[in-house]
Amino acid sequence: MPVWQRIYQEINDPNFVLICAAQDTGGEAAAGPIFDAANPTYIQVIDEDHLVSSAFNFVNVPSAAWIDEEGRIVRIDEGTYSKVHELGAGDQTISFGTDVYEPALKDWVANGAQSKHVESAATVAANIRNHSADQQKADAAFCLGNLFRRHGRGGNADHYWEMAAQLNPDSVNFIRQNLTLSEEGSAGEQFRAMRDNFERTGKDYYRPINIET
Amino acid sequence: MAKAFMAYPELRDPYVVKDIHPKGCATVLYQGKATVLSDIGSGDGLLINPKDLQEINGFEVKPEGACFEDLCIPLNDRLLVDQSGRQWFDLAAFADMLDQPYFADQQANVWSFAEIPAKRENTLVNAMAPDLELTDRSGNVLKLADLKGKKALIVTWSSW
Repeated sequence: MPVWQRIYQEINDPNFVLICAAQDTGGEAAAGPIFDAANPTYIQVIDEDHLVSSAFNFVNVPSAAWIDEEGRIVRIDEGTYSKVHELGAGDQTISFGTDVYEPALKDWVANGAQSKHVESAATVAANIRNHSADQQKADAAFCLGNLFRRHGRGGNADHYWEMAAQLNPDSVNFIRQNLTLSEEGSAGEQFRAMRDNFERTGKDYYRPINIET
Repeated sequence: MAKAFMAYPELRDPYVVKDIHPKGCATVLYQGKATVLSDIGSGDGLLINPKDLQEINGFEVKPEGACFEDLCIPLNDRLLVDQSGRQWFDLAAFADMLDQPYFADQQANVWSFAEIPAKRENTLVNAMAPDLELTDRSGNVLKLADLKGKKALIVTWSSW
């Protein structure tokens, strides 16, 4: 989040809007302090029902869409890390993310339709993930679970969240959001098993970023 | 033992059990909004007061049909149902007609509707930004449609 704030400040264009949307059923308690620590001036949304992921057919975070002045999407659904991150230490260090996204974004804000990073409507439409009827139904189940959880009915909530994960097994969001409520958290053994399974079966954990440098 | 990274098990059952709505009501979830309906019919489907439709999903019942912007779904006796000397609008039949997926928890009388597929076509076919309404942390309602004239980057992230 601090990185996005830096990028937003560097772009410093009144005709550019940055919206960061936390996909977090934990709401303000889970996502609020992380936002606050970045002293953000961009638009901050805490999206408990994962509406943004549902609207753009995203399955993982971070994911993003670029929307031009006419409301047209000109890039969509990439693993949108704003820089290279490193976790762990020594031999255990893992790095993820990319340094190519930020300059591409800045180029688009400066050059608009002339930017080489703008994609055609046909390319964007092809890059929007298929969202089958079952996957749409999964969104409805997820929201139903959230309502039950907000009303203290964990059993009903679990039932509908499990249904959501079954109906949309491609959703890393649903799987990891559910794991936050386990003792091992969202980055434990079950997460690693899921990630291995995605790799083994050739499913996108993130779409590869296809940015010309 | 130290708490695991990104684990909030205490949130699994965080709150006191409370009523979702008063007795005899139904709750409808659509696009992040929960609408509590006190005026509902009985039996199969979800019979609502036709006047409540607009509050739920933006469609308005007019003589020519249930309409949202340019889209008008003609009314028929599956959508407009006579019961107890009154006319009701069957929201479940409307969803079926629009291929709109939904889940109903009959016991709690809560109905959760996915986005209406016809409202998604402009995104999926023409790559236009979806008709999405979000509320920011300050309580301001933000419609993507209102951002026209500006470039926007919308990024998801999470605490987990």
